[in-house]
Amino acid sequence: MSITLDAKIPSGPIEKKWDKHRFDLKLVNPANRRKYDVIVVGTGLAGASAAASLGELGYNVLSFCIQDSPRRAHSIAAQGGINAAKNYPNDSDSVWRLFYDTLKGGDYRAREANVYRLAQVSNAIIDHCTAQGVPFGREYGGLLANRSFGGAQVSRTFYCRGQTGQQLLLGAYGSLMRQACSGRVKVFARREMVELVVVKGRARGIVCRNLVTGKLESYAAHAVCLATGGYGNAFFLSTNANSCNASAIWRAYKKGALFANPCFTQIHPTCIPVSGTYQSKLTLMSESLRNDGRVWVPKKAGDKRSPDQIPEEERDYYLERRYPAFGNLVPRDVASRASKAVCDAGQGVGPTGLSVYLDFRDAIARDGLDSIRAKYGNLIDMYHHITDEDPHKLPMRIFPAVHYTMGGLWVDYNLMTTIPGLFCLGEANFSDHGANRLGASALMQGLADGYFVIPATLSGYLASEKQEALKADAPEFKEAEAQADARIRKLLSAEGKRTAVELHRELGKLMWEDCGMWRNESGLKRALERIPELREEFHKNVRVPGKNEEFNQSLERSGRVADYLECAELIVRDALERRESCGGHFREESRTPDGEALRDDEKFCHVAAWEYAGEGKAPELHKEPLAFEHCKPSQRSYK
Amino acid sequence: MIALMNALIRYATSSIGKKQIVGLTGLMLCGFLAGHLAGNFLLYKGEGVFNAYAQFLTSNPLLPYIELALLGVFMTHIGFALWVTWEDLLARPERYAVRRNAGGRTIGSSTMIYTGALTLAFLLFHVTVFKLSGEAEQHVRGLFGVVIDCFKSGAWVAFYAAALLGLGVHLSHGVQSAFQTFGVNHEKLTPGIKAAGLLFAAAMAVCFGMIPVLTKMGRIG
Amino acid sequence: MSGMKLTLKIWRQKGPGAPGELRSYGVQDISPDMSFLEMLDVLNEQLIKLGEDPVAFDHDCREGICGMCSLVIDGRAHGKDSGKTSCDMRMRGYQDGDTIAIEPFRAKGFPVVKDLVVDRSAFDRIMQAGGYVSVNAGSAPEAHSLPVPYEKAEAAMDHAACIGCGACVAACPNASAMLFVSAKVSQLALLPQGGPERARRALSMLEQHDKEGFGNCTNEGECEKVCPKSVKISSIARLNREFLRASVLY
Repeated sequence: MSITLDAKIPSGPIEKKWDKHRFDLKLVNPANRRKYDVIVVGTGLAGASAAASLGELGYNVLSFCIQDSPRRAHSIAAQGGINAAKNYPNDSDSVWRLFYDTLKGGDYRAREANVYRLAQVSNAIIDHCTAQGVPFGREYGGLLANRSFGGAQVSRTFYCRGQTGQQLLLGAYGSLMRQACSGRVKVFARREMVELVVVKGRARGIVCRNLVTGKLESYAAHAVCLATGGYGNAFFLSTNANSCNASAIWRAYKKGALFANPCFTQIHPTCIPVSGTYQSKLTLMSESLRNDGRVWVPKKAGDKRSPDQIPEEERDYYLERRYPAFGNLVPRDVASRASKAVCDAGQGVGPTGLSVYLDFRDAIARDGLDSIRAKYGNLIDMYHHITDEDPHKLPMRIFPAVHYTMGGLWVDYNLMTTIPGLFCLGEANFSDHGANRLGASALMQGLADGYFVIPATLSGYLASEKQEALKADAPEFKEAEAQADARIRKLLSAEGKRTAVELHRELGKLMWEDCGMWRNESGLKRALERIPELREEFHKNVRVPGKNEEFNQSLERSGRVADYLECAELIVRDALERRESCGGHFREESRTPDGEALRDDEKFCHVAAWEYAGEGKAPELHKEPLAFEHCKPSQRSYK
Repeated sequence: MIALMNALIRYATSSIGKKQIVGLTGLMLCGFLAGHLAGNFLLYKGEGVFNAYAQFLTSNPLLPYIELALLGVFMTHIGFALWVTWEDLLARPERYAVRRNAGGRTIGSSTMIYTGALTLAFLLFHVTVFKLSGEAEQHVRGLFGVVIDCFKSGAWVAFYAAALLGLGVHLSHGVQSAFQTFGVNHEKLTPGIKAAGLLFAAAMAVCFGMIPVLTKMGRIG
Repeated sequence: MSGMKLTLKIWRQKGPGAPGELRSYGVQDISPDMSFLEMLDVLNEQLIKLGEDPVAFDHDCREGICGMCSLVIDGRAHGKDSGKTSCDMRMRGYQDGDTIAIEPFRAKGFPVVKDLVVDRSAFDRIMQAGGYVSVNAGSAPEAHSLPVPYEKAEAAMDHAACIGCGACVAACPNASAMLFVSAKVSQLALLPQGGPERARRALSMLEQHDKEGFGNCTNEGECEKVCPKSVKISSIARLNREFLRASVLY
C-alpha cells in the first residue's frame, strides 16, 4: 500500500489558517446532527472534552472509559498547571511567544501550523474552564493568578494548587455528565476497546470488552475518536496509571493507521527513585522543586557516607557545573540525562545507586524553613510519607522516570489519522509537542483538541462524506469480534508458568536499559533482538488465571502486555532509525563535542510515520517533511 | 396550593428535609425542657408557690391546644427519627466484619436511637404519674405532694437518674447536631456551639436529676 | 533484610449478590517501603502461580488522586493513615506477624462487583443530576469578567478536592453519601459561575442521592475523618443550608 502523508495544512498566513479552515469546512445542519453517531474512546481531558462538546453540538455520542467512572482518567494526576497566552502578568507573552516556545521546546519536530493553532485556542480554554467553575488560583483582587513553570521566561501557567489536572478533568467530566443527563452522550464505563472496525476503508465502530462480564460488545458509528492517552507503560515503571495502555492505538495501527515518532518519550527528572522490584509505579514530584533545590552527587564514586557527612568541597553540583546559565532549571530532557550520566559514573546515591540528591539545605538557610514549607510543604510531606526519609534533615533523592509520550498515531491538521473517520486526540496522537513537551502543555493540548478542534473538524468530515447506515451486527463487526476473541483465547490457553506482570517487568527493564534516556545503535539492535524473544516467551509461557466471561483483571493486564511487547519493538525501531538526538530522544552517536544533544536537521527534519505491514513483517516507514517558515530551527543551548 | 403541598412533601421526604424536621422539633423540645425546668425550680420555693404555678398552668384555657401542639412536636420528632433510622439500616444491608470508628463518632451520636427510646419510655411513665393519674387533684398537698411522695421510692429515683442521664447523652449530640443540620457551621462559631450544646445537655441532666435526688435526701419537701 | 510475614483476611465474593466470606492468606517478604496495594500485588502473583483466583481490587493511578482504590482495612476506610487513599498507604505501619482484615466499601448504593471491587456508578448519576455549570464550549465570557475573591476561590478548591472515592459512604454508619454531594454543591455555590443553577443543583443532586439508596446524614463526622482529601463536614452544613434555601425558593 502506498500512502502519501497529506497533513492538509490550510493555505494562507499562519495566524489566519485556523479561522480560514473553519470557514472552509463543511457544516452539519443542527437538525441533522442527531442522525450521526460518534464514538469517543477515553475520558481524559481530550476524550471527556470532545465527547461533551460534540454532545453540546447535538451529535449522538458514545463515550467509553476503562475505569469505573469517566472522572478517573489519568489526566487527573497532572499537577503543575495549564499554559495560555493571556499575558495577564503583562510580561510580553503572546500567542506568537507561546507558539515559538512550544515549537522550540519540542526541538523543532512539530508542525508549525498545529502548534500555532494550539497557542491560538489556549486562551479560550481558560475562559471555558473558568466558566465551568474550575477553581483556578486567584490573586487577592479576585483575578486569575499565574506562575512561571518549566523554565519559561514568562508567567503563563494557570493552576489549581497542585491539582490542576484533576480540576480541569472534573470540569470536563461535569460537562460530560451534563450531556449524559440530557441523553446526548451515552457513557459506557468499565469497557476496554479491543478492536477497531473498518468498513470500506472507513472507521465505523469498535469492539470492546465489558470488563465486568467479559462479553465482547460491538458499537457502530459514523466516526471514531481515540483519546486513549500515551504508551509510557511499555517501560513498565512510569508515572502513568496502571490502566494506561497502548492497546487502543495499537489496534488502530494494525488496522492501518500510521504510528508517528514512537521513539519520542519524555523522561521526567524529579521522580521518587525505585526502591524495590515489587514496585508498581513511580511517583512524580512537581519539577517546581528545582526552583529552590540544588541537585548534587558525591564527587567520589561509591561514596557511601550519609549526605550530611559529605563536606561541601566533596559534592558535585553537576547541573550548576555543566549549565551555569540555567543551573538546576535546565529542561526536563537535559536534567534527566545529566542524572543518568553521574549515576553511570558510579556517583549515584541511595541503596540502589540510582538516584541523586535534591537538597534544600541552602534554600532553608537562605529563606527560612517556613518559606520553603509554604512553597513545597505538600511535596516534602509526600516524599517523607513514601520514603520514610525526612527532607528537612537529609536531602531528597530523585531519579528520572518515563512520564509522557510525544509520539502517537499520525494525524493531519484535522486530527484525522490515515484511516478516514478515525480521529486521534490528546496524548494518543503524535501531537504538537515535537520531540519534547514543555511543562503545563499537555493539559492545554488535550483540551484544545477536545473543546475546540475536533468539534469543527469532525463536523467537516461528517458533512463531506456520505455514509450509509450501519448496524453493529454487520459482518465486519462479527469478524472484528472474532479477531479479539481469538487473541483472548490465545492468552488464556497458554497456561504457562509466568505471570504477565513478571514479563512486563522484564520488558520494562530491557526498554529502560536499551531504549531509555540514552540510546545507541548497539543497544537498540540488541533490544530489537530481545523483544521478539520475550514476546515469544510471553505467548508460550504466560499464565492467565480464570476465564474470559468474568471480571478478570489478570486477563486485562496480559492483553495490554501483549500489545506492549509489539509496541516496544516499534519504539526501538524508530529510535534506531532516527540517528540524531532531539528532545527526549538522545542518541549517543549524535552529540556536540561537549556531550550535548545534536540535531541533524538535514536528514531528520521529518515526522517518522510507521505503517503496519502485517504479521512478522517489518513496518514501512513514511516521512512527512517538516517546514519551518516562521520559527527557524536553532541549536538549543543552556550553558 | 397543590404546588405548595408538593414542595412540602418533597422537602419532608428528602433526606435533608427529614433531618431538619428532626432537628427543628428537637430544638423546640429543648425549649420545652428549659421551660419545664424553670417551673421545676419553683419546687425549691416550697409547696405554696409550686402548687400555685401548677394551678396557673392547668387553669389556662389554651392548655389543651398547647398540649396537643407539644404532642405533635414529640410525635414528629419521634416519627421522623424512626424513619431516618430505618432508612439508615437499609442503606447498609451487609455489615462490616471488622468495624472501627474513625474518630468522628461520640457516645451521644452513636446511641441517639437508644437514648431517644429511653427518654420516650421515661416520658410515658412521667406523664402517667404526674399528669394522667389525676392524683394531683386528690392529694392534700397538690402536685407538690405527688412529687414528694413519688421520690420517696429509691427505685423511682434511680430510674429518673438513669433516664435523665440518657437524655443528657441524647442532647450532647442532638443540640450541636441540630445546628449543623441547619447549616450553622463556621470555624469560629462551631466550637462555641458544641460547647454550649454539651453545657445545655449537662445542665438539663443535672438540674432535672437533682430534684428526685434532693427530694430523696429530704432537701425538698 | 528479610521482610514481614503477614496474615490477610480478605473478603472473597464471586459476583454481585453471591455469598461472600473472609478468607485467610499468608504473604511473606513484605518490605516496609511497599505500598499497601503492592503488598496485594505480591499476594496476587503468588495466587496466580498456585492456580488460584487472584483477589480483585480497584486501583489505577496509585498516587492518591484518581479515587479508584477502595478498601476497608481493619474496619477503617482507606486504612489507618489519615488523609491518604488505600494506594498511598505504606506497609511501614505494620509489624511482622500482623493480621490485616480487608473488606470492600459496603453500602446498598455500592453493590459488590467482585471481591473488593464495588460499583460506584451511583456517584456518576448524582453528578448527572446537576454537578456542573451549564456552559457550552465556545460560549464562555473572558475569564476575567467575573472576579472571585481569593478566599472564596480557595474555599471552593477545598471542596473541589474531592476525588469521588466513596470512603465517606464506606465510613458513614448510615452509608450516606452526603459528604460527596456536599463537596460539589459547595464548590459551585461558592463561585459566581455556579450561581444561576445553585438552587436547582442542590435539589436535584440530593434527590438523586436519596434515590440511589444512600442513608441519611446524622452528623456523626466519620466521613471527614477518613476523607483522603480532608473535605470537612462544614461542607455538609453548607449543603443543608443550600437545600433549605432552595426548598424555600423553589
